[in-house]
Amino acid sequence: MKVSRRAFLKSLGYGSIAISAMKNKFVFAQGKKDQLVWVADQEFKTVDPHLLMDVATAGYRINLYDGLLRFQDNPPQLQPWLAEKYDVSKDQIRYTFSLRRGAKFHNGDEVTAEDVRYSMERQIALGVGAAPFFKPIIESTNVPDKYRVEFKLKYPYAPFLSCITLLNVVNSKLLKAHEASGDYGSNWLTVNNDAGSGSYQLESHEAAVGFKAKRFGAHFLGWKEQYIDKIEFRTVRETATRVMGLLKGEFDVLGGRMEPDQLEKVAKDPNITVHKDLAARIFNIRLNNQKPPLNDVHVRRAISYCFDYDGCIKDLMKNEVERNAGPIPNNMWGSSPEAKGYTYDIKRAKEELRQAKVRIDRPLEIVPLVGYPVTEQAALLLQAGLREIGIESRVNPKTWPTVISLCAKPETTPDITDYWVSMYYPDPNNWTGELYESTKGGTWNGQCWYKNPKVDDLLKKAVSVVDREQRTKYYNDVTKILIEDAVELWVFNTRNFTPISKAVGGFRFCPIGSGMECRWLYWKA
Amino acid sequence: MSNLKFLLYVFKRIAYIAPILLGLLMLTFFISRVIPADPVALIAGGSASPEQIQELKRQYGFDKPLFQQFIIYVASLAKGDLGISLYSHRPVVKDLADRLPATVELSIFALLLSIIFAIPVGVICAIKRNSFLDHLMRGLTIAALAIVGFWLGIMLQLIFGYKLGLFDLGRRISISAPTAITGLYLVDSILTLNGRTFLNSLWHLCLPGAALAFPAFATLVRFTRSGLLDVINREYISYVVSMGIPKWIVIFKFAFRNAMVPVVTQIGLLIGYLLAGAVVIETVFDWPGLGIYAVESILMSDYKAILGITLVAGLSFTLSNIVVDILLAFVDPRRLEQ
Repeated sequence: MKVSRRAFLKSLGYGSIAISAMKNKFVFAQGKKDQLVWVADQEFKTVDPHLLMDVATAGYRINLYDGLLRFQDNPPQLQPWLAEKYDVSKDQIRYTFSLRRGAKFHNGDEVTAEDVRYSMERQIALGVGAAPFFKPIIESTNVPDKYRVEFKLKYPYAPFLSCITLLNVVNSKLLKAHEASGDYGSNWLTVNNDAGSGSYQLESHEAAVGFKAKRFGAHFLGWKEQYIDKIEFRTVRETATRVMGLLKGEFDVLGGRMEPDQLEKVAKDPNITVHKDLAARIFNIRLNNQKPPLNDVHVRRAISYCFDYDGCIKDLMKNEVERNAGPIPNNMWGSSPEAKGYTYDIKRAKEELRQAKVRIDRPLEIVPLVGYPVTEQAALLLQAGLREIGIESRVNPKTWPTVISLCAKPETTPDITDYWVSMYYPDPNNWTGELYESTKGGTWNGQCWYKNPKVDDLLKKAVSVVDREQRTKYYNDVTKILIEDAVELWVFNTRNFTPISKAVGGFRFCPIGSGMECRWLYWKA
Repeated sequence: MSNLKFLLYVFKRIAYIAPILLGLLMLTFFISRVIPADPVALIAGGSASPEQIQELKRQYGFDKPLFQQFIIYVASLAKGDLGISLYSHRPVVKDLADRLPATVELSIFALLLSIIFAIPVGVICAIKRNSFLDHLMRGLTIAALAIVGFWLGIMLQLIFGYKLGLFDLGRRISISAPTAITGLYLVDSILTLNGRTFLNSLWHLCLPGAALAFPAFATLVRFTRSGLLDVINREYISYVVSMGIPKWIVIFKFAFRNAMVPVVTQIGLLIGYLLAGAVVIETVFDWPGLGIYAVESILMSDYKAILGITLVAGLSFTLSNIVVDILLAFVDPRRLEQ
């Protein structure tokens, strides 16, 4: 059978029309867009707020659940939330929170002090999520009356008010009713259920796809005239797909990591606004201070001098990040303005190396993280610098769980690893006590295996007083020592890039939760 | 007698399943544990002390000797319990049940797509040997085998999803899913007589299905072509042709069935390929199937989930091979004698 050119083109035309018609009828026949689609690069494996605590999980932790206090805006400001006020005893051991009356859970139950007590008990018992922030410090949780809850600490701990924002309050009655063999209702909560009081209530959850939620009209904070009725947090793993989806209008907000070149492409689109907010997430090149030859401070200083910080910031990160020369983010109180840190200076690096007492008789191992191109590029940059001062190294990427397992012992911890240190609670202790206290060895935070009794003492003092000025002084002293000891390389403070469709207004960024709180968003007219 | 032989043959094949799966599980269990990774420390968080991590390990039973853990796992498996995922705290059985239908639907769709297109094309190429079409298809099949699935998926998204706007970039459906009966959206749409969800899910299957089917299509075209050419050149075909029987009857009545033997074998092997290919294609298209689950579980060292996936993948591969063996024995009864 012969097909003429004309007949072929004709059928092609009819085919296209038919396809378009089918597409319009069956794919876009969803009516007016009323749902905001926020895409993330990670799976929402669960919607239980007490199980996981990574960046993506903030999507449900802060939208479906409430805490006693909440951080808002940037720099983060502590705001009353379910608690309208709090009192701290003189000895800083007892924190009493007074709950606002009439706050409701999504099923209509009132939020009471017993729910807060149960939430703390559940969080600690599950042992994951925010548990490590509470387990070592909480002695007991008491309920003096229906609307007051008191936390008794084991010792004075100034960051407690920051940490308490990590406790999501769950409906105790509902969960107790669904408990099975001491699971605190966990199995029930992970299967498409919701026990929160947050601004949105869960509609559906599919771990591989994401979750959908609708506005909770009875939320204690009330609603302004403009809001978004339905939200969807969807997992889209491929950055290329995320970018295409946003440009096409299929998605409204792009969460997750974005490489600078993709950001440039998105920023050029007239229908998209890219919000660039300084986060408090420092990119660190972590050194194992216990393993020879890195147990010699001169070797560590030499390494600190041979990394091209400016090259990393300008070329790799396209100037979209900010140099952060010390352990505490520059935009965080407690950071030291005098902390100049190290610069790229090969001559000084060689001088330091000459003073080293140990011999470097093996190639150093640099471990970037698999799937995180920036860590690999930075590792190669460091490798080039090390070569200039005559130190051989090999770059050996590993997955995150592997790095974590290696960090359990000083002898297995890699010589050098690079990744970001995130903020869990906005307090300088997040970047100092959690990383450099000698007791932290064996955790990934403490993978530098740094041991300095003087620093331990300063850090202990810094968390035992509440006066911010006094605490700042302690942290400045700590910073000075850490830089002198070249414990690790502090490279840059990250910016959080959030490309948003111009049809969406009201975006408010807070580093806690990466701006994922949807209650402030609205459709522009 | 021949029926008894056939039944014995089937029984022997089925009897292999249990030891194969046990061996597979044992290998996966010990390999996944030998690789240094500590998912418990990961879920415990960077601030968890070594004591807290140890406590969690006790809670999850990871403090016991490896062999004992394996015995416990197999004992639970016998009761249908595949354990709990470390990250979602959901039973692995439930995770697998939720995701398996998506992969099955995508793989079957891709397999059908490749068979429907590849066999006629392969037959035409064999009949019109060394024609322009034959050369064109040869080039296309080599390209299809060389192209990386990941790249092809993104290109299809870029052209048909983004530039032409004909398809969504990912997901299984863009309207409410049909009432879950089998979990296969097409089947459930038919069972609930819902034409709209049927067409919508069929529409969403097109791009990932095409990306997954393309290399399978190429393989089948090549096998059909060479299989048919091999048969056409045999003496019995020359004899039939010399009797003056029309060419098309010769092809379809006398040559086609024999030419299909290697093709059917290949289709069986393709099921394994499609399961492996689904890992990549599901990631590109955010297809909520087992492929994505496998990637996530391996990257995060979610041991119980990894074992669950191994079990499902091993079972599907073994079963598909058994089905192929049975089909081949049916097509070529001489196999029963071997």
